[in-house]
Amino acid sequence: MSIYLPIAELSVNIFLLLSLGGVVGFLSGMFGLGGGFLMTPLLIFIGIPTNVAVATSANQIVASSISGTLGHWRQGLVDFKMGGVLLIGAFFGSILGVWIFSKLVAIGQIDTVISILYFALLTGIGLSMLIESSKVIRDRIRRKSVKQKIHYHNWAHRLPFKIRFYKSKLYISVIPPIIIGFVIGILSATMGIGGAFILIPAMIYFLGMPTSKVIGTSLFQIIFITALVTILHATTTFAVDAVLAFFLILSSVIGAQIGVLAANKLRGEEIRALLAIIVLGVATKIALDLLVEPNEIFNLSVIRLVF
Amino acid sequence: MIRQLIILFYIFIGVLMPSVSIALVIGSDQEEIYIDANFSGEELLVFGAFYSDPSQSRDSKSDILIEVVGPLEDVALRKKDSYFGFWLNSKSVTFRDVPGFYYLSSTSELTNEFLTNNQIGLLEKERSEMIDWSSLTTDWGSVVNEKEKKEFYNALIRTKQNDSLFKQVSDEIEIIDGNLFRSYIDIPNTVPVGEYNVNLHLIIDNEVSQEYSYNFMVTRVGIEEAIYSFSKNYPFFYGLISLVIAIVIGWSGAEIFKRFRKV
Repeated sequence: MSIYLPIAELSVNIFLLLSLGGVVGFLSGMFGLGGGFLMTPLLIFIGIPTNVAVATSANQIVASSISGTLGHWRQGLVDFKMGGVLLIGAFFGSILGVWIFSKLVAIGQIDTVISILYFALLTGIGLSMLIESSKVIRDRIRRKSVKQKIHYHNWAHRLPFKIRFYKSKLYISVIPPIIIGFVIGILSATMGIGGAFILIPAMIYFLGMPTSKVIGTSLFQIIFITALVTILHATTTFAVDAVLAFFLILSSVIGAQIGVLAANKLRGEEIRALLAIIVLGVATKIALDLLVEPNEIFNLSVIRLVF
Repeated sequence: MIRQLIILFYIFIGVLMPSVSIALVIGSDQEEIYIDANFSGEELLVFGAFYSDPSQSRDSKSDILIEVVGPLEDVALRKKDSYFGFWLNSKSVTFRDVPGFYYLSSTSELTNEFLTNNQIGLLEKERSEMIDWSSLTTDWGSVVNEKEKKEFYNALIRTKQNDSLFKQVSDEIEIIDGNLFRSYIDIPNTVPVGEYNVNLHLIIDNEVSQEYSYNFMVTRVGIEEAIYSFSKNYPFFYGLISLVIAIVIGWSGAEIFKRFRKV
């Protein structure tokens, strides 16, 4: 059974869409990630045009990060002030990102740029997960416990415009979070990701936020950033496909909840290593598409209908 | 049913036009193709009859040609080149007024000469030596020499063929009883919306003796049309509604499962 997507202007198998959403949702629920970094390339693999894949992924992430934020919010693990400061940067970043995106569409280089960005992102994510999980597995075998610093003091504490973030127990300059938000905004708009994978380490290492508050705060700000990106794409690139988004959201929300349940029952490191391998597999496929001479070196795109 | 209709038609025409040696009628099973949520391509049936005067000898060779031309589009064709091992888009050419769908079918293989003389067949230009480039494109970009232009032109035809949007065949028309014919034409799910022209030619001794044309429309209907036009006319509200859907499903999903887990 297939469904016609009104914006992508093609029909796809409905079960393929549901299982794609379900699997990505499951992984995101299990690991507490948005899943956009897998959703966008997988959509492109099944033949969805790049611009539709990016814009629709952003819309889907809104749903999955709302689901995630609620839990953290109830436990008081969201630093709204920090989220707000990050959003100031993200606001301008995503406007710039959508502008860059539409320029790349116009000159016909969007597919290539997206491929290269995804290759870099997925390789980074995959390798760091693989290293981290293998280290944990090794430490577990050696029965070693890893000591963690509670608070980092670095250059972020010496810049001007310092304000107090009570929830995170921080007194730092607003410049680093605004810059981080700006960069995440650009990436979110061009790649259709929430950016948690970059945001979370940046919040821990650059801002020195407590680990417990990081996930909730990043999810909270991802809701708004992806919401903004959705609106920007809907109004400038016209690439948000509501039908595609609907099926992806439906299946990914269910998948995410099952993923959360599964995460409580299974041991993390082995599955994290597995996810790392999946991520690296996707990165390899993207790299091969860039490096191996394609069967057809020409590609066609419709500019406009002639009336 | 269709067949009876054709026969009726054919008798009718025969009675009406006794002076014409060969008459032609054509029909189709649908005047409109609707793109709805279930649309996954369609098979269009084109049928017809050609009536020949029995008093005339039948040794002259007659052929039928069906041409379907979709709405015109401007398309950008890009060529990938290898840069430091990476295959990246480089040269780009903009072709003007390219049919979004093109189908050419005949009862026997037609000669290039015939197609050129009658200006039928987009695919045939590939083989012909003289191509009127000025009618094809407004922007050659950095493509300058004749050889490269031809390479791009061939690639245009090839990529369209690979997407099943261009097709030229000589074995898809079924002849029944010598005077009735029918043909099933595949309309893939990627076809553009708009007006399509179906042109039928009856060819006798390499000359077009009869022509007949009609149109059909490919249109979006129902929810597909509603979503598409809403997204174009009210993009901001379209984005907003997409968000609301995401928020509602995201929120309620979390709530439903929370209760489910407590039980």
